[in-house]
Amino acid sequence: MAIPKKGPVKPTLPLNYPKTLLPRREQIKDMITKDGTYLPKSLLHADLDRGFLDFVKDKFKIVSEGINIPVVDILVTTQNWSQFVETWDFQNIDKNLEPPFLTIIRSPEVKYGNNPSVQYNIPNRRMYYYMEVPTWNGNFMGADIYKIPQPIPIDLKYSVAIVCNRMREVNTMNQRVMETFASRQAYQTINGHYIPIINDGFTDESSMDLEKRKYYVQKYDFTMMGFLIDENQFEVSPSISRTIQMYEVDQRPIKRPQKKQDPVQPQIIVLNYPIENVSQEYFFEYTCNLNYQNTVNIISYSVYINDQYYGDDVTIIQINTDDTLKIDVTKLNLGLESEISFTQVLI
Amino acid sequence: MKSNVPITRLGKFFGDKDFELEIGMGQEWLIGDMNYTCVLYKIDRNKIKTDDVYGEVVSDGIKFLPPVEFNAQVTIAAPENKFIGTSTKMDQVEPGNITISVYLKTLQDLQIDIDFGDYIGYYDSENFVRYYTVVNDGRVVSDTKHTYKGFKPFYRTIIAAPVGPNEFRGL
Repeated sequence: MAIPKKGPVKPTLPLNYPKTLLPRREQIKDMITKDGTYLPKSLLHADLDRGFLDFVKDKFKIVSEGINIPVVDILVTTQNWSQFVETWDFQNIDKNLEPPFLTIIRSPEVKYGNNPSVQYNIPNRRMYYYMEVPTWNGNFMGADIYKIPQPIPIDLKYSVAIVCNRMREVNTMNQRVMETFASRQAYQTINGHYIPIINDGFTDESSMDLEKRKYYVQKYDFTMMGFLIDENQFEVSPSISRTIQMYEVDQRPIKRPQKKQDPVQPQIIVLNYPIENVSQEYFFEYTCNLNYQNTVNIISYSVYINDQYYGDDVTIIQINTDDTLKIDVTKLNLGLESEISFTQVLI
Repeated sequence: MKSNVPITRLGKFFGDKDFELEIGMGQEWLIGDMNYTCVLYKIDRNKIKTDDVYGEVVSDGIKFLPPVEFNAQVTIAAPENKFIGTSTKMDQVEPGNITISVYLKTLQDLQIDIDFGDYIGYYDSENFVRYYTVVNDGRVVSDTKHTYKGFKPFYRTIIAAPVGPNEFRGL
């Protein structure tokens, strides 16, 4: 016999079938939605019911005669067809459920809960601060404030019934329950929330009629101390990202008399002409009017602006910005200094 | 030693030969005309492997002696629609019990006896047999109903409840 080649031989054989069809779709959905946002996930009645079904399937695994005792994977309600859809793989030829199996019953009524951690802390369903999440819009840093209402505590009553023909299966179920609830409570993580479950005891409904089919029915009662959170009630709002301080002042007239300001005296421009100098220039960086004021040792003068003749002995000179004023004078006595002065008025 | 005391009641107009004649005619009707047949799967109490504490079968199913076909008057009750237990909300249509009336002479001829817990198969159709477990073997036949006009008992009424394949699947 040839030795198997290294490549195609599987080193191990999977003992469990991989998930297919609906369970596989649910698995993918859970992968996508797990830890998707900063906010806690919704926790509604259906989520809690699903969580309890998973809890039973996980904690109360019983193997009898080499076969896992199946669990009816729905909560049977008023629609009869659903029972047959979910139990087709352990029905007999009469379409009756063939023991052994586990089934879960939920009391339709759901009462206000006893979970002490979420009782009457915040009145009137007021939203409270949950967390602050930093944001960046490309220009500046900001933050979003997440607010959620306080969860509402609810108590859900479940019964897990084992229907079987053998006392050994009854014993194993009892052992599983006692081990799981050795300290009275167990916990199930549902949508990231930690939900306590309490064992309330059990009852026996075995069919032991003399002339009937005999089978065991043992019912274990549990209370799931859950709470309701609806993600549609969450609020996300932007927080303060920039602060502007503004002052408002009283614009009414003050009763005190306003202080009278002294008038600004116009500046006087004086051009000096040393001995034997009869021409001076002056550069203006602004627009103004020059008013003739006084001359000393001058008979007459000629005015040029930007080397363009303006006039002789003019009393008002209009100056524009960047103009160069040139004044040529005729002195009375050439052996003395002269001067001419103008008052300027800014325009 | 077991004593045999002749039955002399009704002696003026009825006796053993009349009794045997009536039983013979009844069997002719039941076997020859009606021909209802059941199959007895008698538990082999020596080979069956049971739990020491609970007496439940532990492996390999239930062991039984070679099946024996016998004729009887058969009545099957109507099925009952009810919940499993009282509050499981799991609905089911429970098949009705089978009531078998069999001549004592038939049992004697076939050298069989029917006890509590034995299984009986009854063919509903050509390809479907339903199995029942004996819940009342009708062994006590002293009541007047089971005697032929008060002369001697002549048949047993056996009541059996249906079982599922999880408990018994026959051959």
